[in-house]
Amino acid sequence: MIRFVARRLVYLVIVLVIITFLTYVVFFLGNPKNLADRFAGRDAGPAAIRDATIRLGLNHGFWYQYWHYLTGLLHGSFGLDYQNQTPINSEIARAFPVTASLVFGAVILWLLIGIPIGIMSATHPRTLRDRAGTTFALTFLSMPNFVLGLMFLLVFYYYLTRAGLHWFPAAGYVAITQSPIQWAVHLILPWLTLALVQAAIYTRLIRSSVLEILGEDYIRTARAKGLSRRTILYKHAVRAALTPVITQLGVDIGTLLAGAFVTEHVFGLTGLGQLGLNAIFNSDLPVVAAVVVLAAAFIVVMNTVVDIVYGFLDPRVRLA
Amino acid sequence: MSQTPSMRPVKGRLSEVVENLVDGSSEGRSKRVVEGRAPWRLAWARLRRDRVSMVSLGFIVFLILVAIFAPALTALIGHGPNTEYTNTGLSLSGIPVGPGHSGFILGTDDQGRDVLSRVIYGSRISLEVGVGSTGIALLIGVTIGLVAGFYGGLVDNVLARFMDVLLSFPVLLFALAIVARFGPSLGLVLVVVATFSWPYIGRLVRGQVISLREREFVEASRALGSSDLRIMFVEIVPNLVALAVIYATLLIPINIVLEATLSYLGLGVQPPTASWGNMIAEAQNGDLFTIAWWFLVFPCVALVLTTLAFNLLGDGLRDALDPRQGRTQLAPAKRASKRAPTPAAIEALP
Repeated sequence: MIRFVARRLVYLVIVLVIITFLTYVVFFLGNPKNLADRFAGRDAGPAAIRDATIRLGLNHGFWYQYWHYLTGLLHGSFGLDYQNQTPINSEIARAFPVTASLVFGAVILWLLIGIPIGIMSATHPRTLRDRAGTTFALTFLSMPNFVLGLMFLLVFYYYLTRAGLHWFPAAGYVAITQSPIQWAVHLILPWLTLALVQAAIYTRLIRSSVLEILGEDYIRTARAKGLSRRTILYKHAVRAALTPVITQLGVDIGTLLAGAFVTEHVFGLTGLGQLGLNAIFNSDLPVVAAVVVLAAAFIVVMNTVVDIVYGFLDPRVRLA
Repeated sequence: MSQTPSMRPVKGRLSEVVENLVDGSSEGRSKRVVEGRAPWRLAWARLRRDRVSMVSLGFIVFLILVAIFAPALTALIGHGPNTEYTNTGLSLSGIPVGPGHSGFILGTDDQGRDVLSRVIYGSRISLEVGVGSTGIALLIGVTIGLVAGFYGGLVDNVLARFMDVLLSFPVLLFALAIVARFGPSLGLVLVVVATFSWPYIGRLVRGQVISLREREFVEASRALGSSDLRIMFVEIVPNLVALAVIYATLLIPINIVLEATLSYLGLGVQPPTASWGNMIAEAQNGDLFTIAWWFLVFPCVALVLTTLAFNLLGDGLRDALDPRQGRTQLAPAKRASKRAPTPAAIEALP
């Protein structure tokens, strides 16, 4: 167990080194000369550009800058951004609660939608209910996040507002500490957008998983013992069927915590995704690198957590 | 035996030849038998019975034709995709014309351009990127997966880790960063999308090859003196085709959505060239779409219908090409009854 976690940690470090390195390569292969011009301010003279070059550390070579960044990371600091020379750590601290609120609300919602529909589909295969469930899943599965988000905005914000019903705000984020109700109201549409697309994936996952397990021998045994349908379904089948769901859930939370870029962009939420997106548009390399590092870390850490939890749920799985 | 089979040029899978040796039947006769149960023909027959898959396939063929004949179609409509019809396409106050008015079947956008013509031209981009990048991903993924799975050991370790690392990438963010630095272009989008999608195929192929390489027909081929390359491409690759076809069909919509997302965020295909993603972004930028919904909604509809069609076809193909899985899902009880009870099940009896 300890060896397993240690190995995963080594793997995490390797992944982070590779990913930050590639981020730097991509940026420096682009056009580093422009960076100083860009951040020196409008109509900057040669002196101002020289100042900017030194301020941003661009006068040093590629390896020096990359090494400087890595040592900073080791000290737990993402450095200063190019734009305003503010510490990136505090920008991330501001953005993270937004993304976390978005993701955790959506997770609860998509499990509440996806799992019951999946079970219903699996227990009534080839009926109208099953067909309705699969149709639901495939429709939302084929719907890109931004399309669904824009449709929600169009219908629930613009059309309702024009009809005089100010139910949903269009954009923005209110901290939960400020007003829990406003927090939820502002996040309902983004939650739904994320959750419906994800719920579709879980519906399919649960459906095929429950169907497979209902064909197992031990289910027949349970039936032969005379257990009730409910007990068989919920105690034996669904519990076992949740294992793949947990794997998927870990991966999804990891990926989304790194920034639900599109949903945040559509609804103007200033989370990690939006932070990274703006940094990309502004060529703000340290911020982009910071978001990339966080994203990769979330993905790898969540994968490790899933592997550990999996071991508990399914004792046949041994952590090697 | 005056002539051993290994000395004749052998057509078809070696495993069949070996089976023939065991059966003692002649090659000619076995060929007829094999033709009789050609798996592809069976799969096609199964697929044809599936109405949803056939409708999806029809839609995809229709879409491909639309993309190929886009110039002819827009000529027929009489509106170019990038021409701004400020006189006929916009009302006096600058409001876009609605669907069906003044010859604009799907209306016009905020600059007075024909939405239908733009949706038609957008299909070209979506298909080019979706199919093109999936093709590249398939080529890389199958090759790397094949090499990793077949050779195992250090080669496999390095390649599998490499795929793992690529799969832990924050794909969208990294794709955006690359496109932002090198300047958006169709070619770059295609390459970036392919770069991040091949490991999915690679991992699947690797897993499949690891189990295939232990099978008897590979052993037989090796005993007959085949080289590694021959075993890989003549023996193993044909067994990967079904898997590749299914996952390619399911990867195409993912890649189409990725392109649309890049374009929507302004880092894909650049305006005025129409792509569904940048049409949606342009519509969202102004507030006009709240009155003139059509130039937001129609590109969305085109995008969703396309991804839906590919997803439905992919599902249908999976059922048709892997009937065992389909049966498992549809009639679980039957499958269970065929299997002998496991010791654990017997112990669990009261």
